Amino acid sequence: MKARNAMGALAGIAVVGLALAGCSGSDSPASSSSPAGSATAAKIDGTGKTVHVMIAANGLYPEQQKTWFGEVSDKFKAETGATVEFETFASANDELTKIQTSVLSGQGPDVYSLGTTFTPTAYATGAFMTLGDAEWAQVGGRDKFVPSTLGISGPDEKNEIAVPFASRPFVMAYNKDLLAAAGITDLPTTWDELTDDAKKLTTGDVHGLAIGYADGFDPWKFIWGMSIQAGNPILNLEDGKAQIDVDPTQTAYQTYFDWYSKDKVVDPAALGWKNAQAVAAFADGKAGFVPMVSATSRVTLDKSAVAGKYAYALMPTVPPGMTTNPGDGKPATSIISGDNMVVAKYSKNQDLALALINMLTSTENQTSYNKTFGDLPTNQEAATAIQTGDELLKPVLESSAGAIGTPFSGAWGDTQLALTNVVVQALPALQAGGVSESDLKAALQTAQSTAQASLDKAK
Amino acid sequence: MLAPSGFLMFFVILVPLALAFYISVIDLDQYTIQHWLKAPFVGLQNYVEAINDTSLLHAVRLSVSQALLVSLITMPIGIAAALATQNAFRGRAVVRSVFLVPYILPAFVVATVWRTMMHPQGLLDHVVGSVGIDVGLWLNGPTSFWSLVLVQSWSSWPFYYLLVLAGLQSVDKEVHEASALDGALWWTKLRYVVLPYLRGSILLALVISFLHNVNAFTLPYVLFGVPAPHDVEVLPVLTYVTSFQSFRFGLSAAMAVVSLALVVVPLFLYLRAVRLDSGEDRVRR
Repeated sequence: MKARNAMGALAGIAVVGLALAGCSGSDSPASSSSPAGSATAAKIDGTGKTVHVMIAANGLYPEQQKTWFGEVSDKFKAETGATVEFETFASANDELTKIQTSVLSGQGPDVYSLGTTFTPTAYATGAFMTLGDAEWAQVGGRDKFVPSTLGISGPDEKNEIAVPFASRPFVMAYNKDLLAAAGITDLPTTWDELTDDAKKLTTGDVHGLAIGYADGFDPWKFIWGMSIQAGNPILNLEDGKAQIDVDPTQTAYQTYFDWYSKDKVVDPAALGWKNAQAVAAFADGKAGFVPMVSATSRVTLDKSAVAGKYAYALMPTVPPGMTTNPGDGKPATSIISGDNMVVAKYSKNQDLALALINMLTSTENQTSYNKTFGDLPTNQEAATAIQTGDELLKPVLESSAGAIGTPFSGAWGDTQLALTNVVVQALPALQAGGVSESDLKAALQTAQSTAQASLDKAK
Repeated sequence: MLAPSGFLMFFVILVPLALAFYISVIDLDQYTIQHWLKAPFVGLQNYVEAINDTSLLHAVRLSVSQALLVSLITMPIGIAAALATQNAFRGRAVVRSVFLVPYILPAFVVATVWRTMMHPQGLLDHVVGSVGIDVGLWLNGPTSFWSLVLVQSWSSWPFYYLLVLAGLQSVDKEVHEASALDGALWWTKLRYVVLPYLRGSILLALVISFLHNVNAFTLPYVLFGVPAPHDVEVLPVLTYVTSFQSFRFGLSAAMAVVSLALVVVPLFLYLRAVRLDSGEDRVRR
């Protein structure tokens, strides 16, 4: 009897499995795209149709985002007759869950807004449409965009899936008054100069640097930046090799740790700080520099004690221990940071989706989006206009132009986690006095194994 | 009459369970998710990898020890609180309400507040520093495990309180009167009269508390973030990271199945306790 029941249950599961398989749809787009350049947003008739967009909830401007949703839908309806419905996600986890269920069921949002560093993972799923010449023409052409923002749209130009929508390159903010008082007239362009300047700035409860050691993302950005400036991309995709337990990266970690334990240019409480708390310390006038901030920090800083007393500058582009970049080093100003838009393969409204992206990345909309939310335009014309009109943002736009994409591999998620993990596990030793070379080497070997294993699985 | 419950059990429990088992034996990741039915079958490889190449066993040890400690620490606190508020006194309703605050606060709120207090040079550092103690980092290193136990205990002790309070309602009034007439002191009355009545409630609370704490995700996730410090990389957090940051869905399903095995014994005890408490059994007795 029990056996018969078990067989019945298995049969039931098989039926459910087949039903789910039936729902999963095919790889091919549900509708064909228009011929190259033949479609523009204005010419498409989307009457009675709805384009669904999944986008990150904006924690800083929730009300403005709601208003923006309405405005976009109204404008798109006027242009095409179709409405736009937005759905927000609070975290990458929510987004991934949505992508998973949509991919499996073959239905869900037509357009997803993705973080740039999540784009390789999205690409790896194979669930998003590749942008050929025709599709690029539908969103206004590749020339419409700031060239560097296209650097993480795909593994190469023939396999791009993502259209840059918003740019949030990283820079450092500095306190003009504190720098002047310390006699610093030239901004540092190497990490060693930054450390020296930070030492000059550290006095009493004011520290040279504000660093979020406990942030879940900042540490890997520092390490990746210093490493690639020294010629190490962390993942060598050509050879299929992870390169974490190597000298340039070890030096990067040592520099990052030394700020706390040896140079003593950061607040002792920084071991518990995330990026927001580092920015808050700078906003209180307690730090000379706060590296790894985007233009959105302006919202906080303009209402703080340092309003009118701060400016942005490029982070150093010369790796620690050097005065110029080595031959294979790249003077990366930042990772390519911001949001990309991708269209689902299963979407039945691909032409409309591309028309919407075309509208959202137009000069007019990108300028207005920048004014409302602070994110920089990916549209070249809008970016140029801002650069000439806003002195404060000039370095941020320079950073955008000099930004380099993190390795375009599905293994990057694991790799950035492994890079951050080295810092997380080292914090107790750091507080106790410093991380020894042998401990650091062992931690780097662990991270190396994790990244290599992930890279070996990459397809 | 069995049909509705059988239907529910099939779709709500058996199907997801079967899928979890199935996913745990295939190589499902970001590269294969689009064609998940075609994902390579790898047998027990995910289980072998989980045990040999990840910190699964370490996470299991942490989860079990943390859950046991919290369940045992909160037991006397909950019992004491329930006994203290059993008899009517002025302001009892307020006290009873206040006791429930830690339990009704969302876990992410609890974790955020404690995280703020546990920052380096934060409130807790000042408090213990005022008596000359330096504990180092609260949220990383060996102390972080005890921080987790502390915060988890703070947020979950009212669960015992609630169940024991409910259990106290079953103590007959006559029993109290009889023990008073016999001149029993409060300890004697508690030990030999009240606690025997509460044994079922307390054991049930112990089992549920253990299950709850073993599976707690939000609190350690918000309190320590990811990647989690080694000393607080509990099983739910490890499973989450494997699934949603490493995108190894097959491997994380294997971990989830292991965690299921971990809770099966107390779950069995719980189900048995519930069954023994049913009216049907009372009739049989």
